[in-house]
Amino acid sequence: MAIVNRTPDSFFQPGVTWDEQAAMERVHAAVAQGADIIDVGGVPAHPGNVVDVAEEIRRVVPFIAAVHEAYPDTVISVDTWRHEVAGEACAAGAGLINDSWGGWDSQLAEVAAGAGAGLVCAHAGGQAPRTRPFRVAYQDVTADVLDQVVPLAERAVVAGVEPSRVLIDPAHDFGKNTWHSLEVTRRLADLVATGWPVLVSVSRKDFIGETLGLGVDDRQTGSLATAAICAWLGGRVFRVHDVAQTRQVLDMVSAIRGDLAPSHPIRGMV
Amino acid sequence: MVIAAAVCPWPPALAAELTGPDADIQRLRDACAQAVGRLVRTRPDLVAVIGPAQVTRTWAPDSRLDLSVFAPAPGPASALAGARSTGQSGARSGDPALPPSLGIGALLLDQAGYSAPGRRVLQAVAEDEAPAACAELGAAIGSSSRRVGLLVMGDGSARRSPRAPGHLDPRAAAFDAGTERALRQADFHALLAMSPGMASELMATGRPAWQVLAGALRETRATTDVLYSDAPFGVGYLVAYLQPAAEPTAAEPMAAEPTAAEPTAAEPTAGPPQPTARPAPAPGREASR
Repeated sequence: MAIVNRTPDSFFQPGVTWDEQAAMERVHAAVAQGADIIDVGGVPAHPGNVVDVAEEIRRVVPFIAAVHEAYPDTVISVDTWRHEVAGEACAAGAGLINDSWGGWDSQLAEVAAGAGAGLVCAHAGGQAPRTRPFRVAYQDVTADVLDQVVPLAERAVVAGVEPSRVLIDPAHDFGKNTWHSLEVTRRLADLVATGWPVLVSVSRKDFIGETLGLGVDDRQTGSLATAAICAWLGGRVFRVHDVAQTRQVLDMVSAIRGDLAPSHPIRGMV
Repeated sequence: MVIAAAVCPWPPALAAELTGPDADIQRLRDACAQAVGRLVRTRPDLVAVIGPAQVTRTWAPDSRLDLSVFAPAPGPASALAGARSTGQSGARSGDPALPPSLGIGALLLDQAGYSAPGRRVLQAVAEDEAPAACAELGAAIGSSSRRVGLLVMGDGSARRSPRAPGHLDPRAAAFDAGTERALRQADFHALLAMSPGMASELMATGRPAWQVLAGALRETRATTDVLYSDAPFGVGYLVAYLQPAAEPTAAEPMAAEPTAAEPTAAEPTAGPPQPTARPAPAPGREASR
């Protein structure tokens, strides 16, 4: 899942895809590098300038339409918590709603069902959208994640979302500190064991920066290492900035797991 | 009678195990250690730690902060949701955890070498407790023993900057300045007049705890040393030490009102701390500075 942010102020490379042409070039590159899903978002996760429904729609919907026209067979996800935005985005060609805020808008599942789209059910620790964690504590963060995402997933199916289109996501750093994010990484197998496919969104995040003592521009290696671990533990979809590198990580892990044949093994057999 | 009070913030980062080296947090730790050290050296016969929490209640005096709620330790691979990580305090799974405001206070007392068994009260005050109830609680605690020390845990606004946990609210700096002014002037009526709604909107956790302090000292004069006042992470941290003036008891009317420096005829003074022999360090612990 390649991240294409239609924002001027996201945390990594702010504004790099704010211009629509730059954004489309990013999509071309991502698809060429092996992205299966293009994730389009119009609102940064951190607090800041207000982006209302109308503005969010303006930022993402026409662009989604353009991506869909260029790549009709590529899945487009819309990174939003708002049902109004999700509805418009799905009408324009989005096939997956990527809600990182854990169902803050209770109408999202109905919109997904109505559009025949998929839905990501994430754990945000009960936080309102665009808020930061403040001294957040958990007796068992993984248990809390499961207690939130599994009911969300089940409710989505009851609302009519196709079960095979529901994903769960521990949402690293959302309502979690670095220790919590490391723990949910370590215990990703518990999420995989639920049977719901797991979305992993760790790319360039602060828990990686705080682990390694590195700024956002230097977190690629840490992000790839984390993706590798999550892939080994059974994660299925990886939301990333660095598509080509992550593609290689996932293919390598798949081959090690035995899920993917190496592309050209001949050495020692000639 | 309250003989001394220390006011400290309670960011979990104060616990050294939770955060790596950080110059700002270390400065804050040093200021808290200074304030709590002074409190302990007045030799109170009881220290009441006051801290905001979900519910107003006391906790067992030997309760300690369970760091695992902030920093889960890796455990054996767990099955599913039934597995719980064990807290470092050995709390059973399912037990409610000690509120972190009290946990950090207990940690500061431990680090200052205050180990009088059973002479510690851990008093949680509900975040939405009304000012009058806070004041009443403070008055009760303040008169619960002859020499009460108060360790008042609370923060100013968590909305002091764009990168603050609560982002920036332009009212936050003035709110925190008002709290500091009230403490510096020992203006306990001003503290009691603080609006719970505004404090809550500005994510200032300290409001109920400061109002307990104010209730304990309401008719008392005090001198205040502010040891730290800054918001390096966008949360207002204030560290202060308050020295109440010595009070005559009702049974010993005085001809002239005593000042902080004058001992009364029969009551032991709450004046400058007496030099005492340093307690022998516990095995494995460094002697306190």
